[in-house]
Amino acid sequence: MTAPKGTTQLPPQLSTIAPEVDDMYMFIYWVAVVSFLLITGFMVYYVVKYRRREGMKAEPTGHSTLIELVWTLSPLILLAYLFHSGFSSFVKAAVPPRDAIEIRVTGMQWSWVFEHPNGAIQQNELIVPKGKPVKLIMSSSDVLHSFYIPAFRIKRDVVPGMYTTAWFEPTEETQEPLTLFCAEYCGAPRGISSGSLVDEPNSNHSTMIAAITVVSPEEYDRTVHQLFIESQKPPADCDGNDDPMACWGEKLYSSKGCVACHSTNPAVNQPGPSWALVWGETRAFEDGSSVVADENYILESIRQPQAKIVKGFGNVNMPPYGERNLPKAQVDAIIAYMKKLRQ
Amino acid sequence: MSTAAEATAAATADQVPNYLNHERSIKSWLFTVDHKRIGLMYLVATFAALLLGGFMALLVRTELMLPGKQWMSADTYNQVFTLHGAIMVFLFIIPAIPGGLGNFFLPIMLGAKDVAFPKLNLFSFYIYVIGSVLAIVAILSGHIDTGWTFYTPYSTRADNSVLWMTMAVFVLGFSSILTAVNFIATVHTMRAPGLTWKRLPLFVWGAYATSVVQILATPVLAITVLMLFVEKAFEIGIFDPSLGGDPILFQHFFWFYSHPAVYIMILPGMGIVNELIATFSRRAIFGYMFVAMSSIALGLLGFLVWGHHMFTSGMSEYSAMVFSALTMLVAIPSGVKIFNWLATLYGGSISLQSPMLYALAFIALFTIGGLTGLPLATLITDIHLHDTYFVVAHFHYVMVGGTVIAFLGGLHYWWPKMTGKMYSETLARIAFTLVFVGFNTTFLTQFVLGSQGMPRRYFDYQDQFQPLHMTSSFGAYILGLGIVLIVWMFVRSLLKGERAPENPWGSAGFEWMTTTPPDPHNFPVTPVIERGPYDYDLCTEEELYTGFRKDLEAKKA
Ligand code: HEC
Ligand SMILES: [Cu+2]
Ligand SMILES: [Cu+2]
Repeated sequence: MTAPKGTTQLPPQLSTIAPEVDDMYMFIYWVAVVSFLLITGFMVYYVVKYRRREGMKAEPTGHSTLIELVWTLSPLILLAYLFHSGFSSFVKAAVPPRDAIEIRVTGMQWSWVFEHPNGAIQQNELIVPKGKPVKLIMSSSDVLHSFYIPAFRIKRDVVPGMYTTAWFEPTEETQEPLTLFCAEYCGAPRGISSGSLVDEPNSNHSTMIAAITVVSPEEYDRTVHQLFIESQKPPADCDGNDDPMACWGEKLYSSKGCVACHSTNPAVNQPGPSWALVWGETRAFEDGSSVVADENYILESIRQPQAKIVKGFGNVNMPPYGERNLPKAQVDAIIAYMKKLRQ
Repeated sequence: MSTAAEATAAATADQVPNYLNHERSIKSWLFTVDHKRIGLMYLVATFAALLLGGFMALLVRTELMLPGKQWMSADTYNQVFTLHGAIMVFLFIIPAIPGGLGNFFLPIMLGAKDVAFPKLNLFSFYIYVIGSVLAIVAILSGHIDTGWTFYTPYSTRADNSVLWMTMAVFVLGFSSILTAVNFIATVHTMRAPGLTWKRLPLFVWGAYATSVVQILATPVLAITVLMLFVEKAFEIGIFDPSLGGDPILFQHFFWFYSHPAVYIMILPGMGIVNELIATFSRRAIFGYMFVAMSSIALGLLGFLVWGHHMFTSGMSEYSAMVFSALTMLVAIPSGVKIFNWLATLYGGSISLQSPMLYALAFIALFTIGGLTGLPLATLITDIHLHDTYFVVAHFHYVMVGGTVIAFLGGLHYWWPKMTGKMYSETLARIAFTLVFVGFNTTFLTQFVLGSQGMPRRYFDYQDQFQPLHMTSSFGAYILGLGIVLIVWMFVRSLLKGERAPENPWGSAGFEWMTTTPPDPHNFPVTPVIERGPYDYDLCTEEELYTGFRKDLEAKKA
């Protein structure tokens, strides 16, 4: 079995709704091509036939209300058809089946976080089961984003302060991951040096991308279960390390997206404070108070970042990371990593 | 003998006072209340904006030629495309035709001495200048990377320079409103004797419909921008959810203005195309009243369809349904225009001089722009195409393939009347070809990019999109070259162009009935209108070329 290919105009059809969208698209395409050829055809024909010649005068313009009414009203038939079938498919695409698997999606500058029904978390990659409807419950923790998978022909804005939903049912297992784009402009950090897909993935609007993999339902269950177990202990490749927790913390630092705002270089404070000089230091806050950075302070900074705002960092809001997003064990790993950075 | 006669004729013609030479000081320009001089100043200013915005577009296309970072960062890129959009929309395309060509020709076409409120007209030009300066200051001093749409909450969390930019838009809006008020009053009260509504040139109908839309829609933009300002300056939650606001509300406000703004941009362009087609086919526009009313219909319908920009925003399926249905209706008046233009060509005496090339290009390109609106109005296909390059290509076909092409056509057409000089037809044809080929290469490719799923406003992209991006960029360079050639051609015409005759195209339009360049008061005597501007069957052959002015002078004597 080979992977389904797209056409010159459209990406491969990998969801149940895709063929319906494409049929409509191709219908409109051919209507447009024919109309365009007719209009420009007549135009060119008249321009040649009635080109200005010696001794030939233009015919005086007549008037025909009948002709006017015909070309005013006849497009209505086509338009009514387009509207009607476009709307019925749209409703189908908007109402998820009852038995859909619910996946929670959070968009944040410039990453996607997915939470499976069992609590397993994925970031910037998502696996979904073939042949099962998946319902997305989406929200944004900062600005507008838009969830767009061309191969599934779905797109829905991800809005701060409210939930939006979308659903799809994948029809093929993927050999290569599909791309989830952010289709609503969400900016780039100030003074970023590049921002290209290769150098700095998930660093701005154009690289706010996630890889979607479609697997069999059995494999989906297995993987999601595995992901959940793994989220509670350091990964296998940290086993031989002399400080496995710090090793795990370092991995979480990048995989959870902290790297987008925090550097480990003491000289770089963009857009959040560098982690090089936090642990055990006296931290001064915007409101004038201060505290020595210990376990509780770090935990609070992660769960409720706005409780104490580090001096000079009032502009950027760090998103809160709750128990589901960053379980206690992972916070411990990050603390271990921050300790290690001070050594 | 004949050369001597020509020389005297030229010498006497030079002594005839016209609006350019009757006063020459700088002050006489800066404080002029002559609508023709104000129109020229608008043309120079808006054309400069076009060049600046076009330069930004070339920067964007250069960066996108290859995937990865070429020579600017994502942050810089975001600022550059924002400036491209904001400059083109607010500084060029909205004011260019009404402010420039409209100001110059609307009163002449009405046989009037000036607009109804000449001082207000000058005032509105200066408001435009202030707005533009504010915009430039905001751009140079700050960091504006919100896109021209200023979507919240991104824009309210951005730099304070965004506030300056929105204030600039606010100020520019006032300029549009004042021009619109002036046009409406002029059309109602200043028509020459005999110029009935049914004899109004269609350019005037277009400008009139535009003015109505401008007066009704622009205040909404002002209110929106003001609310942004209040939210940002006083932290009152209107649009930002972290302050308790609703970000989608902003989109409703924004598009309630910006969709009608599409008609503010396209209706005057359609008006120009009517004039061009009539003149170069020597034939009255078929279905005159239907064409005139379709402008009004487009203008009014334009207020009911803003939601089609928001089908994926999370608004209810039923609102989407209503907006989709209403949007479909826009095709009707647009189609009426196209069909009537074709019917005008039928049986005409068609000459393919450069302005007519632009008019025919307009028909073809606007047709593509309109037809590609169908999959965007159809709900299910819009979900896939929304916020991709398909939309980018679609609105460039309408805005550039439509409005800019019409604007260029109008500029060529009226250039002899405005400046008294002819331009090189050969250069004009070469430039037209470059513009036409360049434009289509740039944007046809973008339809495919979009339907393949390439989102817009992307600094970087995957390798699969590369060949199309590269082609598109080459198209943009060709288009840029065409525009540069046009500028050179016009400058050359000013420096050493031949003297333009009164009516080089043999048009029956009223604006050709006066001297070239026009008299300071447009006509030596108020013309009495005895036929419509397209009644070629009522004109004799020599009347079309020379008859009018003598006729008017004779009345004066
Ligand atoms: C959107 C940018 C952003 C992201 C992503 C982010 N942070 Fe932050 N973070 C900040 C900012 C800004 C501050 C300083 C303001 C404050 O104290 O809330 C901060 C402060 C902190 C502090 C307190 C540091 C100090 O100097 O006292 C900790 C601990 C922290 N973040 C942990 C994390 C962890 C763990 C992650 C990843 C799971 C993370 N942050 C992701 C922006 C971010
Ligand atoms: Cu985004
Ligand atoms: Cu619109």
